[in-house]
Amino acid sequence: MSVLKITDVSKIFAGPTVAVDNFSLEVANGELVCLLGPSGSGKSTLLRMVGGFERPTSGLMTIDGDDITHLPPERRPTGMVFQSHALWTHMNVFKNLAFGLKLRGLPQDQITEKVEAVLELVGLAGYGTRGVNQLSGGQQQRVALARSLVLEPKILLLDEPFASLDQHLRERLREEVRDIQQRLKITTLFVTHGQDEALAMADRIVVMRDGRTEQIDRPDVVYREPQTPFVAGFIGTMNLVDGAVSNGRFTRADFGLDIPIPDGPATLAIRPEALDLEAAETGEAQVHRVTDYGTHGLVDLDLGDGTRLKAMVAHPDLFSAGQKVNLKPQAMAAYRDNARVYRS
Amino acid sequence: MTDAAPAAPRPLIDSNDSRRPHGLLLVAIPVFLVAWLVIWPIINAIFRTLWRPDETGAIGFNLDSYVFFFSDQYSINNLTITLWTTLMCAILLLVICLPISLYLRFSAGRLPAYVQAMAIFPMFVPSIILAYAFIRVLGPNGMVDIILNSVGLPKIRTPYLTPWGPVIGLVWDNIPLTVLILLSGLGNVANQAIEAARDVGANRFQVFWHIILPRISNSVLVAISFAVLGIFSSFTLPYLLGPASPEMMGPFMNRTFREVNDPLNAITQAVITFCFCIAFGLFYVRSVARNQGK
Repeated sequence: MSVLKITDVSKIFAGPTVAVDNFSLEVANGELVCLLGPSGSGKSTLLRMVGGFERPTSGLMTIDGDDITHLPPERRPTGMVFQSHALWTHMNVFKNLAFGLKLRGLPQDQITEKVEAVLELVGLAGYGTRGVNQLSGGQQQRVALARSLVLEPKILLLDEPFASLDQHLRERLREEVRDIQQRLKITTLFVTHGQDEALAMADRIVVMRDGRTEQIDRPDVVYREPQTPFVAGFIGTMNLVDGAVSNGRFTRADFGLDIPIPDGPATLAIRPEALDLEAAETGEAQVHRVTDYGTHGLVDLDLGDGTRLKAMVAHPDLFSAGQKVNLKPQAMAAYRDNARVYRS
Repeated sequence: MTDAAPAAPRPLIDSNDSRRPHGLLLVAIPVFLVAWLVIWPIINAIFRTLWRPDETGAIGFNLDSYVFFFSDQYSINNLTITLWTTLMCAILLLVICLPISLYLRFSAGRLPAYVQAMAIFPMFVPSIILAYAFIRVLGPNGMVDIILNSVGLPKIRTPYLTPWGPVIGLVWDNIPLTVLILLSGLGNVANQAIEAARDVGANRFQVFWHIILPRISNSVLVAISFAVLGIFSSFTLPYLLGPASPEMMGPFMNRTFREVNDPLNAITQAVITFCFCIAFGLFYVRSVARNQGK
């Protein structure tokens, strides 16, 4: 059992800049939790605090109940995979993996056995004698992962490990990493600013903003039921329309919709795939552009006051620029004061 | 009316380009100066010490001046003290400059900036000023003596005019260049490479020994080679701070040439000094090439 518990952790840098603000999270045994957020949201600082590379200003961090808050990195049962791989170029692949085991005083035959087993696990059997500079970016990232795994850490920390790889390789590697993580049942904390990665890999996603938690949920819940307009706008493509509600009707320019919430300002959130269009002589919106992606089409709409919306359609050929349409949202949410007040 | 043939595209680098000699002319002056002021005197010195008249006046291959140098105890002592001084300086420079460079590389804030300024400061102090500052501070009745005396402590045994005098002066003089070269090497060691080492369990010493040192070995070689080459043939500081006997090769050559008025032996000493320096140089080139080939 390896459970990571972060309780009320804050990190304030000189300035003062609050990088992480009173953050709490519990990562269950074998769970992969993804810290997702834009640059400067504090996700990497939080990961570095778990790894021991930053000291929290306040708060408590435990692994299986043991306080690790003030332990140096070398005494923590964690293994970190860095964005830049951080391989030691003066050592070959085998030596990169064996270094940590040697420091632990393991006999040579055990070191060889463990290194070969983990190289096999990451699909690099037979690469031990290669120099790390002779490897491709994907292979280097596998070596970096293997270097952490060979030490059998209780918690695996991944700091944007695929950021330096191309899209194709990134998709392949994230599947491989997820497979390995599930096979080893290793508790994992994963930092990314790529929502695709988070949605594809995580058991739970923590959406962070300005050092705080915006939402912690399963990927499907974060996508379908964002709790704040920030999460709604950050995950996937979302139409966010600011308007006002009066007598139970939300209006913005020519667009109007009945919503059973009290009068006042509100932000409406509608996914493009949940926005149906209906051709009309005098519609609520005008088609600005139609893009055909083969499998589907994306229609850019103008509400008349410069507000742009996107709608995903099955037959883009039915629409053309300048055409008037009415908007028929099939699912939506409304937000007020940074909280969701309505969902359909 | 005839059709004009299309003009052939002009190659990016034209091997027949008449401007090429201009580029060679730019380097011609420094190459000529090096050949005239460095290479020719070396060849000339070697030739003059090896090819000269014997007792009968017949000109031929003659190793007498070298035989004299290596059979003369005073010359051997001078060469030995030069090698000892160079070795001590190299060791002390590493011992002093490596911690300074590590501190500067891995620290942030205002204090490291002041430390760097202090480490670089000797670069702007002429050797002769440094020598007199040394004498005023560590010499007989210098500042240290006065302070010790004022608190009732005995005088120190001054390093002035002992073999340690040039060592202290030369180390101080070479700190800036050594720190700058080491700092440049340390700049190539990524923070994440160090963090990765700590992550797998390395303590600070193990990080230094297994990760940092191998990555800066070239810079260490460059720094030490530059220092050694300069120190081995140095003159001002050994002349002003060192003992009269034995003396380093620089002052020895000067005295042999000017005071003893023996140009042949002075040139022989210069050739021997040059041979040691070229040996250091070759060792440095070989080590760097080997490291880069890894």
